[in-house]
Amino acid sequence: MTYLQEPPVGRWPGQNRCAFVVTVGFEAELSVLAAAPDAVDRAKSLSVGQYGGNRGVDRLLAELARFGTRASWFIPGSNLLTYPRQADAVAAAGHEPANMGWALEDMGQQTLSQQLESIGRAQDAFDVLLGISPQGFRAGRGSFAAGLPEQLAGLGFTWSSSWHGDDLPHFHAASAADLVEVPRHHELDDFPYFVFNLDPPIPKGSPRIASSREVLRNWILEFDAYLAEGLCFVLTLHPEIIGTPGRVGMLRQFLEHVNSCSGVWQATGGEVAQWWRQNAAPNSPSHPAEIFHTLTREGAPA
Amino acid sequence: MIQQNGHAGAALWPDGNRSAVALAFDLDGPTGDAMLKGTIWSRPEYFSQGAYGPWRALDRILALLDAHQVPATFFTPAWVVQTWPEQCRRIVAHGHEVAHHGYKHEKYWDLSLDEQRQVIGTSQRIFQDVLGVTATGFRTPSGDWRPETPALLAELGFLYSSSMRGEDRPYRHHGGQLIEIPARSDMDDYASLAYTTNPDWPSGGDRIAGYEPTLDNWTREFDGYHAEGLCLATIFHPKVVGKPGRAALLDRWIRHMKDAGGVWFGTCGQIAGWWQQTQELEPTA
Repeated sequence: MTYLQEPPVGRWPGQNRCAFVVTVGFEAELSVLAAAPDAVDRAKSLSVGQYGGNRGVDRLLAELARFGTRASWFIPGSNLLTYPRQADAVAAAGHEPANMGWALEDMGQQTLSQQLESIGRAQDAFDVLLGISPQGFRAGRGSFAAGLPEQLAGLGFTWSSSWHGDDLPHFHAASAADLVEVPRHHELDDFPYFVFNLDPPIPKGSPRIASSREVLRNWILEFDAYLAEGLCFVLTLHPEIIGTPGRVGMLRQFLEHVNSCSGVWQATGGEVAQWWRQNAAPNSPSHPAEIFHTLTREGAPA
Repeated sequence: MIQQNGHAGAALWPDGNRSAVALAFDLDGPTGDAMLKGTIWSRPEYFSQGAYGPWRALDRILALLDAHQVPATFFTPAWVVQTWPEQCRRIVAHGHEVAHHGYKHEKYWDLSLDEQRQVIGTSQRIFQDVLGVTATGFRTPSGDWRPETPALLAELGFLYSSSMRGEDRPYRHHGGQLIEIPARSDMDDYASLAYTTNPDWPSGGDRIAGYEPTLDNWTREFDGYHAEGLCLATIFHPKVVGKPGRAALLDRWIRHMKDAGGVWFGTCGQIAGWWQQTQELEPTA
C-alpha cells in the first residue's frame, strides 16, 4: 500500500502531472561579497564568483539550450552593468529575466523603502539595458520587510520565489493576493552543496564539497516524488556553481531524467504564476503566508 | 557479540517481539530560538520553512504511517497546536500520540523550575482545550534540562521523557518514577538533512547529506538494534524528513523494518507503559 495520493486532475495544464521550473541566480562575485563583505579587494576570492560571469553563464546557457529548457534568471541589477554581454545572451536565448534587487543586499536588514529603492533601481536597469520589465522577483537572501508583497504587486510584479513554506505555488496574503509565490527549497539548490572558498571560509565551517553523484541522486529522488505527488519542483542554479565542466554534466544527467518522464509541465516561474492565478483556489487560512500575515499585520507579535 | 538486549532471561518486548521501534517526530514548525528572540518576524522565509512542517509535511507523514499501519509520537510545541489546531487534531484522529515539547521550543536548560512549571502548565491547558488530550510524554527541546526537571515532570503527572542520548533501551530516571525513552542523534534527521540560512544551521554551513547514504545509516542502525533486541526511537522533524523525496526514504526505511519481522512499533507512551509494568523499580541509570 502506498501513502501517495493521486493529485487532483487539472492542477496543471493539459495532461501534466507536475510542474518543473528552473531558476537561475546570476550572482557571480556578489555572493562572495554577501558572505564576506571585507573581500572587496581580495581578487582570488572575488574570482570564485566571477567564474560564473566569465565561464558559467555561457556553459549553462548551452546546456539549457540542449534540452530547450527556458529558465527564469534572477539577475541583480548591478550585474547587468558588470556583465552586459551575458545578460544580453540570457534574454536573447528566450529565458525569463527576473529582478533580484540591485546587489544581493540582505533585505532582512533593510527598511521597506531601502528594499523598494534596490528593486526599483534594478528594474530601471532592465528597462534601459534590455528594454524589458521583469515580473518576477527573488529576495537575494529570502527575507522581505513587512509590506513588500503589497508593494511588489502594486509595481506590477506577478510572482516571487523567495519562501520555503510549500511545494505548490501559493498567493501572498490579503491585498498582495495578486502576487504568486513559487516557493523554493535549499535541497534543490546547487549553492548549499557546492559553494566553497578557502579563505575567507565560505561556508564558515569549511565543510567538504558534496558529492556530485549524491546530489544528483537527491535531486532525482525529490523529482520522482514531486512527480508522483503532482507538485511544483523548483530547481535553483547558479552559473558560478553548476557551470563547471564537471557539474554541468551532472545537470545534464538530471535534465535527461526529467525529460525522460511524461506528464511534466516545464515552464518558467512567470508561466506557473499565471496558471496558478487563473486556476487555483485562494490560500487556506492556515497557509503559512496567511498565518505570518495575521501574526505580523500589527507589528511583530510579543 | 553483546548479549541480547543486556537483560538476562525473558524477552523485553510484548508478544515475543525482538525489538521495539518508537517513531517519534518533533513537530516544531517555526518555533525555536528565532521566535523566542523575535527575529523570525523579519524573516518570513525562515518562518515559512518551519511552517512547512505542520502545513505540508504532517499530512504526508500521517498518510505514510496509515499506509504502514504504525503508530507514532508527535512532540509538539503548544504554540504549534494553537496555530494549526485542525492539523494537530488530525494527529490524534489518526491514532497517534501527542506529547509536550515546550510552548515555543524553550530550552529547559535556560529556564528556572518555576518557568518550566509555567511552560508545562500552559502547554497542558492548550493540549486539553484544543486536542482534548492530557499528555503524559515530554521531550525537552534541544535535549538539555535542569537536574531537577525529571522530578518536576513526575510531580506533574508525566509518565516518560524522551530527551536523553545515553542508552539504547528505556530506563528509569533516579527516583524511579519517570521512564526515559532515549533517542540518539544518529537517528536525528537534523544531523544529516536539515539546512537553514540566517540563522545558519548547521552553524558552520555543512552540506545536506546524500539521501541514499542517510537511508543506509538509518538502516544499519535499525539492523543493529533489532539484532540486539533494543528500543530505537527517532528524532525526526516533519519539516526536514517530510519533504517529498525524503518521505520516500522514510517509506523505504519503514518497509525494511516491517520486512524484518518481530518489531514492536509502539508510541513512546506505549513503550514507557510497558516498561513501567514489566521492569524493576530500581533505576538502571
